[in-house]
Amino acid sequence: MASFTIKQGRDIKIKGAAARRVVDAPLPKTVALVIEDLRGITPKVLLAPGAVVKAGTPVVMDKNCEDLKVVAPVSGKILSVNRGEKRVLTTIVVELAANREFEQFSTFDRGALAGLSRETVIAQLLKGGLWPCLRQRPFSKIADPRANPKSIFIHAMNTEPVAADIDLVLEGRQDDFQAGLDIIGKLTGGKTHLCIDARSTSPALTQARGVEIQRFAGAHPAGNVSTHIHHIDPVNKGEIVWYIEVQDVLRIATLFLKGMHCVDRIIAVTGEGAKERVHYKTMAGVPAAGLLQGSDLKGQRIISGSVLTGRNIGKDGFTGFYDTQLTVIPEGGKRELFGWMMPGFDKYTLTNTFASVLMGRKESSLDTDTHGGHRAIIWPSNFDDFVALDLITFFLVRAVIVGDIEEMVALGILECDEEDFALASFACPSKTDVGAYIRQGLDLVETEG
Amino acid sequence: MKFVEDMMKKVEPLFLKKGPLEALYPFYEGIDTFLMTPGKITRKAPHVRDAVDVKRVMLFVIIALIPATLMGIYNTGYQLLLAQHLPTDFWPCVNHGASKVLPIIAVSYAVGGFWEVLFAVVRKHEINEGLFVTGLLFPLVLPPTIPLWMVAVGISFGVVIGKELFGGTGYNVFNPALLARACVFFAYPSQMSGAKVWVAVDGYTRATPLGVSSQAPHGANIIQQLSIAGYDFNSLFFGFRPGSIGETSTFACLLGLLFLLLTRVANWKIIFASVIGVGVMGSIFSCFNGPNQPAYFALPFYWHYILGGFAFGAVFMATDPVTAPATQLGQWIYGFLIGMFTVLIRVVNPAYPEGVMLSILFLNVFSPAIDYFVMTSHIASRDKRNRALSSVKV
Repeated sequence: MASFTIKQGRDIKIKGAAARRVVDAPLPKTVALVIEDLRGITPKVLLAPGAVVKAGTPVVMDKNCEDLKVVAPVSGKILSVNRGEKRVLTTIVVELAANREFEQFSTFDRGALAGLSRETVIAQLLKGGLWPCLRQRPFSKIADPRANPKSIFIHAMNTEPVAADIDLVLEGRQDDFQAGLDIIGKLTGGKTHLCIDARSTSPALTQARGVEIQRFAGAHPAGNVSTHIHHIDPVNKGEIVWYIEVQDVLRIATLFLKGMHCVDRIIAVTGEGAKERVHYKTMAGVPAAGLLQGSDLKGQRIISGSVLTGRNIGKDGFTGFYDTQLTVIPEGGKRELFGWMMPGFDKYTLTNTFASVLMGRKESSLDTDTHGGHRAIIWPSNFDDFVALDLITFFLVRAVIVGDIEEMVALGILECDEEDFALASFACPSKTDVGAYIRQGLDLVETEG
Repeated sequence: MKFVEDMMKKVEPLFLKKGPLEALYPFYEGIDTFLMTPGKITRKAPHVRDAVDVKRVMLFVIIALIPATLMGIYNTGYQLLLAQHLPTDFWPCVNHGASKVLPIIAVSYAVGGFWEVLFAVVRKHEINEGLFVTGLLFPLVLPPTIPLWMVAVGISFGVVIGKELFGGTGYNVFNPALLARACVFFAYPSQMSGAKVWVAVDGYTRATPLGVSSQAPHGANIIQQLSIAGYDFNSLFFGFRPGSIGETSTFACLLGLLFLLLTRVANWKIIFASVIGVGVMGSIFSCFNGPNQPAYFALPFYWHYILGGFAFGAVFMATDPVTAPATQLGQWIYGFLIGMFTVLIRVVNPAYPEGVMLSILFLNVFSPAIDYFVMTSHIASRDKRNRALSSVKV
């Protein structure tokens, strides 16, 4: 077990954390497979609207890897196949049948899990439709089943603003979680790292076996996957690591022990715009509106994920494939007279340039206002205080802008994901979207590098 | 509030696409966002943003400049009355000082603003707030006797050549205010240097402390020489001496610095490193002191902090984040070298009594090079670190 303390970064104290209790959410009428969250696959739709599916029936296939299937989340009828800009597949919506039916996959005894071969595990994950839960660095895309990762990271810590409580999620699930860890451990010849919050008291995490327990302390982005990988087993050119979210470990256990593809998930409903802020026991890809009943959503932004890295899904949207948080915050856009020269007792800032700082950094109400116009970067060294990786952000951005792939790689872009720079973008007085540059660079390196 | 918003809404169509004043849209936008926050919202993640923006940052630099500006106004009047052997009461000093200094500031803002708006309109970018700072920094590093047309020439050079040619605030290589000063310094040396220009009284001559120091004969006791000329440590520290308008008072600069450090707008590393640089170089000269060396060698290093424009330059000019290195290690090197070169130019270059301006401009040129070396070593060290840490050994 090792401990790490991250010095960079800051926590954004936003109002609206979810209460520390789990509530059963009402059963949704529809559930979506959010394909646009699945980075790295070229989807081919296998079934047309109207087709009847069970939970686990293949719906989408990756054109580059025929074994990699994305399966129906629940049983019912395919309602629609939706495409966005440039006909990119966005969601496939399934209308939930009255009784839940599951495709039956092979089952394994709890005792037999330790003896499984790597091939068996891969085959079962591919067949059972849980392969997309495994993602890789570099490029944050779905893992290639033919690749061999040097290590695997279990992402069991989240420092995003008002994120779901992982200890709560794992309450009473210690055995399942351990079973999942045993299975995932088979996928690599290297180590499996369980990265947890130093303050975590969940026995599922602190007493986990067969993995390296790595404790991280510090402010956001101490909980990011990149931060963990960077400090434990950094990705050099040609190397691959895989990572997986904590709740997906539980789903893998269910797949092996019960032979079922299950999308059960605990989602924290957060943000001051949400009325009932609790952890909901529901499914991945449920309609946001179903979790926000009773909330007045007029003038609110609904985000699947956190305010830093989530996606604006609108009131008719579905929660994302990997997301464990739904956030509702007010839209900004109110204009203030001489706002830039007022004391600003109600302004939230990580700098010391508003009077609100004198009253302490309390939990604050943040809306979607940019609080200023976009400008050229005037404060280049400021970024590095908000990035927890050992790199010079400004030069990385500059290398991306000029398209210098060699320099991007030398400066460490392979270790990065855009989410690692969300805080730097938040704090930038010139309102630079650093993450967008990083993603642009990653795409360039991936296609041409 | 509603009134202002309605008013701006009403004239907005004039400046929009196909409106009669479409070309002037950046001007409209500048006024509009000066009056009110832009009210724009984020489109994607991160959905929330810090309340700070460039306007706010620049505003805070201007607030930090207030003590130096006020002191400059007072001291200009004080020196003027003192030279004429008139009573130096507070309000007459302020009045006389203001009548000299405010026109210079006004010309600087007006002419600089003209260029800024012109370039914003032609190049279709937003009006950059950097001008608010540049337009005030420049007058503060000028002698109070400067003709107003020279102010106009200088700020034009600084804004156009120093900044806009490179693409505007954020892209400039040189600190525009310092480049503007260098322009008038080299173009009109008789109005920018010597012993006649520092007090706003015609024909009055009084050498600045820097002038006294550089002209002290070999083997003389330099502190005594300064004292004979009427300069003791206190008067230099608080700034009751002739000099450029805003630079005389180290104390006023320290007040500004305190504000910038509390609000964390300024980069303390550069300032601290430049203080060390001056100390090191000053001490080196002291070590080589002897009867055959210029008296300047003997000046204790801490006097360099209160002479000339060091404090002003270190706090307000060297810290400009655009022209300083972007790496933290680079900032240490940059600040340190600024301090060293300041003393080097002051002590051994008889042509230029003041070294701050030239040393900062010099290091502005070198800051990309410093960054380059820091980056190269960073790449090597991160590669080593990552290979050592990786579970795959090659």
